[in-house]
Amino acid sequence: MPAGKHKSGRYRKVFVKTPGGKTTVHFRERKPSKTICGSCKKPLLGTPRERPAKLSRKPKSSRRPERPYGGNLCSNCTRSVLKQKIRGESQ
Amino acid sequence: MSVFSVGRLCVKIAGRDAGRKCVVVKSLDNNFVLIDGNVRRKKVNIKHLEAISQTIELSEGASHDDVAKSFEKLGLSVWKTKPKQAKAKPKKQKKVKDKSPKGKKSVDKKEDKKEDKKSKVAEPESESKEVKEESSEVAKESTEAKDGETEKPALEEAVSN
Repeated sequence: MPAGKHKSGRYRKVFVKTPGGKTTVHFRERKPSKTICGSCKKPLLGTPRERPAKLSRKPKSSRRPERPYGGNLCSNCTRSVLKQKIRGESQ
Repeated sequence: MSVFSVGRLCVKIAGRDAGRKCVVVKSLDNNFVLIDGNVRRKKVNIKHLEAISQTIELSEGASHDDVAKSFEKLGLSVWKTKPKQAKAKPKKQKKVKDKSPKGKKSVDKKEDKKEDKKSKVAEPESESKEVKEESSEVAKESTEAKDGETEKPALEEAVSN
């Protein structure tokens, strides 16, 4: 019988073929939800969907776009924010 | 005249240089301009730029050094590119050095083996010849020895007498 924690749906099932030819069930933690833009709530590009432990192994430049607000705002929203900033300064 | 004439200060909105100030150095097209300053010197779509009211006096197609001087007067920082350092190519001599001892050894081994084989092949023949010779010599000796044995007792008899 699977343990109680495996029945709650917190873990995802992965069917693994053993060297002996049997298929066994492995339980792994689910991936986090997709990152979304802070203002328009659309899914962000260039942000990998992985567990934080896996992400920490990657270099910082491959975790989010290399621009201001990268990883928080989408490119369109960054443009509008930057425009507002610039126009506020000039006035 | 569009806003993006030569000498117009802008801020880049898109890409990895977003939020940095730059100057239009040359207008290439209705949509594209060449920019320089606190960004990588680059051909850029006008959509990726936001113009500022400030302008700089620049000649069309000014070099990066001229732009840098005018930026320093305004107190703005300038993009600095790191000069590419050519990687030292691995010397061919090293490879030769690495390979040569191994190759020589292998060659030597092969030669040794060949020599061994030759000697092995050659030895039995010579041995067999020697054996034959030895056998013939032994036979001669045996005959001589028999003669000697026959002579010796005769001598002993003579001495005793």
